[in-house]
Amino acid sequence: MNSTTGYLTTTVDAVVNWARSNSLMPMPMGLACCAIEMMAFGGPKYDVGRFGSEAMRFSPRQADLMIIAGWCSYKMSHAIRRVWDQMADPKWCIAMGACASSGGMHRCYGVVQGVDNFMPVDVYIPGCPPRPEAVIHALMDIQEKIRNEYSVTQDYTSGQKEIVELSARPGSLTVEGRKVALDASSLADA
Amino acid sequence: MPETLKFHFTPVDEARAEEKNVHEKASTNVADTVEVLQGQFPGAIAKVSVYAGEYTAFVKRESLLQVCTALKETLGFTYLVDLAGVDRFCEDAPRYEVYYAIVNLDTGKRLRLKVLVDEEDAVVPSLTGLFKAADWNERECYDMLGIRFEGHPDLRRMYMPEDFAYHPQRKEFPLLGIPGSLPLPPRVPEGELTMDPFAAARSGSPAKSYQEPKGEDA
Repeated sequence: MNSTTGYLTTTVDAVVNWARSNSLMPMPMGLACCAIEMMAFGGPKYDVGRFGSEAMRFSPRQADLMIIAGWCSYKMSHAIRRVWDQMADPKWCIAMGACASSGGMHRCYGVVQGVDNFMPVDVYIPGCPPRPEAVIHALMDIQEKIRNEYSVTQDYTSGQKEIVELSARPGSLTVEGRKVALDASSLADA
Repeated sequence: MPETLKFHFTPVDEARAEEKNVHEKASTNVADTVEVLQGQFPGAIAKVSVYAGEYTAFVKRESLLQVCTALKETLGFTYLVDLAGVDRFCEDAPRYEVYYAIVNLDTGKRLRLKVLVDEEDAVVPSLTGLFKAADWNERECYDMLGIRFEGHPDLRRMYMPEDFAYHPQRKEFPLLGIPGSLPLPPRVPEGELTMDPFAAARSGSPAKSYQEPKGEDA
């Protein structure tokens, strides 16, 4: 085929998602022993650089993937939430290990029983601690999620507007990016 | 077929008075030190118990400072290894005890002191004036059990937030905590953050729970 006459069709989404998914910059929130496995995940043997995530950013402003590695106490939850709020959108979160996902063996008064009690989590990794392969798998799941995202306005819907079903959690985002209202009456003008 | 599970009780190990305990070590044999203390402060030591060659002196609360000063200044026990509280939770009062593990580094001898603390009057004199190492241990003991240390320069909670209303290592405290007693960040993105760990960066004063104790030169 002559290179001057060939062409390629794609969407902006495909390009943007390809770029985003292959350059995730993790914010390592190392709280306990899982952080040691997270270092192996970043180190030369498991080499997360193959997936474009070798640049760990210790500033939330430069990161778009938070890896919460370890158990989170009630005192620490406020700091984690603040760092999460400082990360620029779009951002994703991995709860690494049993403790971050559910409190794990720390079933006691001082440990938050899962970080999803105060912030959104995209992928949960089981294990105590998980092996670096499992962390890489979680990263690949995040990449898969990003590649299926629609970052620009959906232009393929037409006709009557869809009635948005109320989700279980008020305040979460709908497919169209609107906030789910607290009651059905405030949806009337939507 | 699953294997039938059996529960084995720990066999009772009767005290063998005449037999030498295999775990006995020379470093914990401080009979002479205890004797000196008993001679120097008659009535200060209520009881001395010996198990596996380890001496535990039950010191009366009001003479704890005297005994520890003598131990440090004349008997060479200069190193406070550990200090913690215990909720004995038994029928016979007093309910709590505070133990002190003190070491003489020159001779390598170890001595354990215990102070029994009543629930109604849970106050113990602080050892921070003698041993600086007692500082954080006493704060931990206060945080976990609510035993107050008289004369402590900075008796704040060690682990829990300062406005926490309970003492979690007391036996009546439920293991899973009391719902609502510890604040979490809001569940919705636009909710207001209640605690500010980085207030100092905005030239505010940090929340007390995040404040470090003042250094020596401060």
